[in-house]
Amino acid sequence: MTIEEIKKKLKALNGEYAKIKDLPKDERKDFGAKLNEEREKLERELKAAEETAESENIEPIDITAPAALNEEIPRIKQGSKHPLMTELNRVLDIYSHMGFNIIEARQLDDEFHMFESLNFPEGHPARDGYDTFRTEEGFIPPAHTSTMQYRALTKFKPDLEAGGQIAVVIPGRVFRNEDVDATHEHTFYQCEGVFVSEDATFGQMLGVLKNLFENYYGQDLKIKTQPGYFPFTEPSCELLIEKPKSLGGKGDGWLEMLGCGMIHPNVLKTAGIDPEKYKGFAWGGGIDRLAMLKYGLNDVRYFESGKLEFLEEF
Amino acid sequence: MKISLNEIKKLVPKAAEVETDELVKLIGSRLVEVEGTSDWSAKYNNIYIVKVVACEKVPNTHLSVCQIDDGKDGVQVVCGAPNVREGMFAVWIAPGAIVPQTFGTDDEFEISSRKLQGHESNGMLAGLDELDLGDDHSGIVEIDPEMPGVKSGASFAEVFELNDVILDIENKSLTHRPDTFGLIGFAREVSGILGEKFNEPKFSELALDEENIDIKISDPEICARYSCAVLDFADEPRSEYLTKDAVFLAKAGMKSISPIVDVTNILMLITGQPLHAFDYDKFVKVGGADNPEVIVRTARDGEKLTLLDGKEIICDENDILITSNDVPVALAGAMGGENTAIDAQTKRIILESATFSLYHLRKTQMKHGIFSEAITRFTKGQPAGMTMPTLAEAVKALGSEPLAVVDCFPAKPEQPVISLSLSDINSLLGTSYDADTVVSTLENVGFNVEVDGTNFHVKSPFWRTDIHIKEDIIEEVGRLLGYDNIPLDFAKRPFIGAKEDPLFTLKNRVRDILSDRLAANEVLTYSFVSEKLQKTVGEDPEDSYKIVNSISPKLQCFRQSIAPSLLEKTAMNLKAGFKDFSLYEINQTTKKSLGLNSENVPEMETHLCFVALGDFYTAKAALVALFQNLGLREFALSEPEKIPDYYEKKHSATFKFGFVGEIKNKVLKSLKIDQKVAVFELNLEQLLEILPKTSQKSLKFSRFPSVSRDITLKLKPEIAFEDIQKALEAALAKNCGITKVEPVSLYQKDKKTKNLSFTLTFASEDHTLSADEISAIMKKVEKSVKSDFAAEIV
Repeated sequence: MTIEEIKKKLKALNGEYAKIKDLPKDERKDFGAKLNEEREKLERELKAAEETAESENIEPIDITAPAALNEEIPRIKQGSKHPLMTELNRVLDIYSHMGFNIIEARQLDDEFHMFESLNFPEGHPARDGYDTFRTEEGFIPPAHTSTMQYRALTKFKPDLEAGGQIAVVIPGRVFRNEDVDATHEHTFYQCEGVFVSEDATFGQMLGVLKNLFENYYGQDLKIKTQPGYFPFTEPSCELLIEKPKSLGGKGDGWLEMLGCGMIHPNVLKTAGIDPEKYKGFAWGGGIDRLAMLKYGLNDVRYFESGKLEFLEEF
Repeated sequence: MKISLNEIKKLVPKAAEVETDELVKLIGSRLVEVEGTSDWSAKYNNIYIVKVVACEKVPNTHLSVCQIDDGKDGVQVVCGAPNVREGMFAVWIAPGAIVPQTFGTDDEFEISSRKLQGHESNGMLAGLDELDLGDDHSGIVEIDPEMPGVKSGASFAEVFELNDVILDIENKSLTHRPDTFGLIGFAREVSGILGEKFNEPKFSELALDEENIDIKISDPEICARYSCAVLDFADEPRSEYLTKDAVFLAKAGMKSISPIVDVTNILMLITGQPLHAFDYDKFVKVGGADNPEVIVRTARDGEKLTLLDGKEIICDENDILITSNDVPVALAGAMGGENTAIDAQTKRIILESATFSLYHLRKTQMKHGIFSEAITRFTKGQPAGMTMPTLAEAVKALGSEPLAVVDCFPAKPEQPVISLSLSDINSLLGTSYDADTVVSTLENVGFNVEVDGTNFHVKSPFWRTDIHIKEDIIEEVGRLLGYDNIPLDFAKRPFIGAKEDPLFTLKNRVRDILSDRLAANEVLTYSFVSEKLQKTVGEDPEDSYKIVNSISPKLQCFRQSIAPSLLEKTAMNLKAGFKDFSLYEINQTTKKSLGLNSENVPEMETHLCFVALGDFYTAKAALVALFQNLGLREFALSEPEKIPDYYEKKHSATFKFGFVGEIKNKVLKSLKIDQKVAVFELNLEQLLEILPKTSQKSLKFSRFPSVSRDITLKLKPEIAFEDIQKALEAALAKNCGITKVEPVSLYQKDKKTKNLSFTLTFASEDHTLSADEISAIMKKVEKSVKSDFAAEIV
């Protein structure tokens, strides 16, 4: 039927409704329902016929193409955020939700914050392990974010002594005098954590860190430890997590994520905190590795390359 | 560090009952990271000791056709080694076996049967290098026929105890545990981990006989103990046969050198205590006295000594020297001197067993670049208690009666007794260990524990130089019982929200605006730049903190601003073919002229730098958009008086906390950029300071329709755009409730005048404006700008 024919039929049908009042009362309901049914059917047909007629003038397109033929390809100009900063923010978001304050690390520091305040004896071989850069004046571009522990402890000490706690995370750029290759950079990012309370324990530390990575990877994770040695924590260990599913983990592999331990009493003492009354734990891990694992990057040198071909992917 | 599991099992019987995988896992989780394991029983599988029964030269080649007795039917092997001969016992790698040298590598080489010069050859007779037990390639390995177990067809691995697993230990995390650098110390830990008391080995003892030699230590700080023995001894050349000692050394990654050196090295591997041997007669002669006196002292500045390797070193006051009557004969802990080296003529030796200050030796190691197995151990601080037992074992191994034995031990350290309670342990770890568990855990590894109720008084054994405070004891308990067995808990936290770090929040807002709204690309670049770049852009390198041990001159100066780094990246990306982009970075900068802060460390600034392709107005537009998005609508640009040298002064401006402008042509040219580039760089901390003071303009909208009218003013060119915009805004606001003035075009036909066009949008708050009202408003606005600026309405 053409549109015209349907319309004509509809008009005729509408005329039929007038007959209802002439019918015996018990037949009116059935008759009306029949007319309604007929009308709905015609209206559907009309709508379909009209749609067909309308689209007859519209050319089909290739929905897989980026633009219509002869038309300019639309370019959406997009910016990008650096993946290291994005990853760092994601980690910091989780920490914030857990109640940690954030303070940022300095990029030029001194011997006191890098070593002395962290219980590294002067001239101790442990200082060698950090391959620090030095300026002519003896300042140190920090080799770990732990340089900020003393500042975090002293800054939030009043909270602690007012019956609260110290809960701080410290993101920062750190530097090591290392030859650069696909897995080594002289410049990279770390995030440090410091927690002090009257009853902090090693078990709490492991629980908090497990929870952090479970939040970050969005799944339950097994953890394990490996003894470690840092002059500023005692006991110390390295924390490993089960390789998460999102990184292709099948429950067997392990990833070394960070170093951690109970804050050494000398570190607390140096910051003016009584180690007999308060206990704390501290930890620190790399951000670059998180981003490399997440994006499957095989070369750490991209991060500071400034190459748009890399940046535009983020 | 390489550790043989077989050796551990010999010292810890219980270790033999544990599956290798489980043992490795336990060591990894309770002592130190195991970086890898190498299964030597697979490595030496299908390799046999054989007798060469016939050997015939192939004419005009270096090859010999050998018939070997493999304990079965006999096989023919072609061998190219010069020392192959009839009757010798050799090592045969059978067809199908992997050459051990290539075992575990990416291209393992499997031996087959093949023809060499027309002669069938099955497998190969192996040299020391092919067996991966040394680097000698001069001939094939010969086996002593008298050695127990040697016969044709015997398994090479069984005779030489190669059915072993070698652990590769990450010893960086053992720098505080000198005791674990010997097999005994390592095994003791394994015993403790397995919950068994370590069976301490009994060392030989030596009676002192101090008549023939004197020892003087100038300062006990540099040398806590110096023990030595004088022995009759002639060093023999290395055995022509492969020895078990050589295999023992190879398992630790060391080479067999000569019997005397091998003895000192083997004992070092077992006990952790390095030994050194001097030629006694040379020692006496060098000192020029009949009665030799060993003097341990620090070097005089500039003092020279030629070492065993022939290198002459110039010492400073940090280096410790062993001297014979004050004449240097060794750089203590590092290397012996050439003047007292053992050689074929040596008749008597002095065996030294001593400990030195790790602090001095660490500097010596760095200064002279000596990284031997011995100094690696000394720089961890070997315990003084091991010198005599190790010396006694060495004397015994060398099988000679000592002519003299001296032990100089000026400062006997007293091991501290540390008192702590059971609750100290459990409250730090979050555990509920009982007293018995704690006591046996500590006693298993040699601690002496005196129990007093739930208090412990713990005395550490002499080899534990790392135990000073109760946390050290708590660590031992937690670690040996397994951190992984500690029940997980959460920190008990009050519900107190984290405080916001305003700068951190601002940085993220800026990143959101620049990346998400303005489509810019965030970059991170190094904090160090080259002097060359600084000079190129006109920064003073003298104002930069300079890295003295930088990786390269390119990374020498801490940057004073971010723009130069981003200009380099702009050039790079242009070269790579990118056309329409803008880059930004947020990072820290500093320079000496900023001075030091209250902590006496350099004052740092947090900068935001933005670079775009285009002119001044491109950068300005981005800056204005950024500020508007941050709610900062009012800010003033001023003509630059002081501005970094790389800005084109005529096309730049300053504001309270930063700069915006075009980069000088000269700078662009030296960076090989052939188009206009504009930049803004600002101090984010200073921006933060003014942000809270800027309140958002209260937003007003009308329910009634607004109207738009364009106005074009013909003006003298020197009149500033901003003055006109402000005048229009003021005039319009005076006459109407809701107003907006937006520039449409800036046009100049000739230099005498310029035309500025604006769209004025306005509405009343309480009614719809009539045509008459609209024209009245426009007239008033036109009149006011006409008179104030001598403008002509076009």
